[in-house]
Amino acid sequence: MRLLVVEDESLLRQHLVLGLQRAGYVVDDAADGKAGLFQALEYDYDAAIIDLGLPEIDGITVIRKLREAGKKYPVLILTARGDWQDKVSGLDAGADDYVVKPFRLEEIQARLNALLRRAAGFASPQLKSGPICLDTSSKRVTVDGKEVDLTAYEYKTLEYLMMHLDQVVSKSELTDHLYAQDYDRDSNVLEVFIRRLRQKLDPDQTLQPIDTVRGQGYRLRTLG
Amino acid sequence: MNRLASYSLQRRLLLAVTVLLSLFLGLTGYVLERAFRNSLETGLSQQLQTQIYVLLAAVDELDGEFYFSENLREPRFGQLNAGLYGFISSPQQGELLRTPSALEFTFPALAAGQGWGQNLTQGETRFGRYQADDADEFFVISYAVTWENRPEAIVFTVLESTQNYQAEVTAFRTSLFSWFVALAVLLVVSQLLLLRWGLSPLRRLATDLKKIESGLAEVLDSNYPVELAAVTHNLNLLIQSERKQQQRYRTTLGDLAHSLKTPLAVIQGEMQACADNNLDTEQRTERLLTVQEQLDRMNQIITYQLQRAVRSSSVGTLASQVDIAVCVTKISRALEKVYADKGVVINQQVKPGLNFLGDERDLMELLGNVLDNACKYGHGRVTISSRVLSVNPPRLELLIEDNGPGVADKDSDRILQRGVRLDSLAQGQGIGLAVVTDIVQSYGGKISMHKAATGGAAVSILLPNFRIQTSA
Repeated sequence: MRLLVVEDESLLRQHLVLGLQRAGYVVDDAADGKAGLFQALEYDYDAAIIDLGLPEIDGITVIRKLREAGKKYPVLILTARGDWQDKVSGLDAGADDYVVKPFRLEEIQARLNALLRRAAGFASPQLKSGPICLDTSSKRVTVDGKEVDLTAYEYKTLEYLMMHLDQVVSKSELTDHLYAQDYDRDSNVLEVFIRRLRQKLDPDQTLQPIDTVRGQGYRLRTLG
Repeated sequence: MNRLASYSLQRRLLLAVTVLLSLFLGLTGYVLERAFRNSLETGLSQQLQTQIYVLLAAVDELDGEFYFSENLREPRFGQLNAGLYGFISSPQQGELLRTPSALEFTFPALAAGQGWGQNLTQGETRFGRYQADDADEFFVISYAVTWENRPEAIVFTVLESTQNYQAEVTAFRTSLFSWFVALAVLLVVSQLLLLRWGLSPLRRLATDLKKIESGLAEVLDSNYPVELAAVTHNLNLLIQSERKQQQRYRTTLGDLAHSLKTPLAVIQGEMQACADNNLDTEQRTERLLTVQEQLDRMNQIITYQLQRAVRSSSVGTLASQVDIAVCVTKISRALEKVYADKGVVINQQVKPGLNFLGDERDLMELLGNVLDNACKYGHGRVTISSRVLSVNPPRLELLIEDNGPGVADKDSDRILQRGVRLDSLAQGQGIGLAVVTDIVQSYGGKISMHKAATGGAAVSILLPNFRIQTSA
């Protein structure tokens, strides 16, 4: 999952970026509204965290502009004042949720999880496809109720595919959204992850949840 | 233009009155002088007419020669250079006879061939002026008569110096002018006094305000003229709300400092304990948790006091109107987004055209917190409705109901208790309703909680400050 963090307070921004990276997200950041808006329009993110009080262009304008440009990914706003006028105007401009400063990282993660899930069309924190169940809040995966042990990267790959159920996801999209920019695009790491996922989720080869669409990418099917 | 705008009221009024006064007095003087001169001249022409008759009575003709057959009844005619001269002439022959007073006087118009009086018909009188030289001016009156055996008219002419007339006019002007000056001075002075008297409340207002500024007085007293009463009333409201605000800032600051001390002390203790190297990981984690708890509490305290501090003061001040239905719609839209997971639906039944008289921020804070709670604790169905209670004074009831588990009666009292000091607030208890209670009471309203018909919680807010807009 690739996130954009726009926050002018540098300590807080670093704290957010580090915390979210540790939680497995790929994070881009911007220190003012102008840079933030540029990045928000230029790249395709899975979600954005935007502070309302930003230099250059204020947060509400950034949100309105990116919504006008047709960007549909969820936006979480950070507000220091915490009064309802601020919240309402932010949500009115196109944000999806708010967090009042100061906040705990866990809270941001929980809200983000919910937003990402909602954007993918899942109502509960458990993403399900047949016997495969992925819990976004505990970051655990079970098949037929039995826990499957996944590495962080394997989990991220599966989560992204689950969020885009029945859609073909290209390799470049996966690398863009799952790994930091310095990742070597030519390597076959992705194929390795997919192969391992197939083995771990479906050791008997009965489910075959992940299709390879030749020349296009991968697709996680809804299983009956 | 700017220089004019900065003129004091007194100066403006005085300037206007002075201009008007001089215009008025000047015009009156001119008209009066004209009227006086006209009447004087009319009188003079009548006098001269009489002199003509005096001449007529005294003149006789013998063998074509005119002579004075008897003494002229006007003594000035017999006195050389007396200023009153009489002539008898005919248009063709010129001068025929002159009075003794005119022996040294020259009146060239009478020379033969000049045709003096040829335009006059029998019995006609003509009155005019004649400028002899630079110094002397005369009134001239001519009268044409038919003489027994003469074919042409005989013209009687009398000239009188304007000296007397001028002297009289000058005397009149002098007296008129001095009276007018006296009048103008009197008017300006009385105007000045009137202005001082009329503007004195304003001057008093300025000194009173200065007194308030320096802390010698609390409010403006009520002894102001009607025209100023509205202004002073509003000023008083402003001053009062300013003072209240100040008071609130002071208490807030005090409360804040006071209530932050406890968690600070706890944190300090925990820090010292953490510095002890003998602690194992579990103990350390426990201590860190305590620090986190205290930090949360500090955050809550700061948030609550901040919200109290920025809130506007209560009713009666210069309030604005906020459409309640519009405000509710805005908040509902935002909350439905936030609680999309729960699939919350807010059923908006507030009648359109209801306006809240007060600060929009306050209304948003109020409705936002109550609706947020309803969304949070309910099971997805929230209703907000309005009702106007026709008690005296009329009150607006806003009713917010949810379909959650509801609140026990004993708890609702505690939740809504007002002015709970933040350090006495239970851990984990939200500040939302405390803020709401604060706002409602500052507007002189009431808030209560009971069981909704649906079984959930119902919050009823009674507000006195509202207006119904009839034209939707």
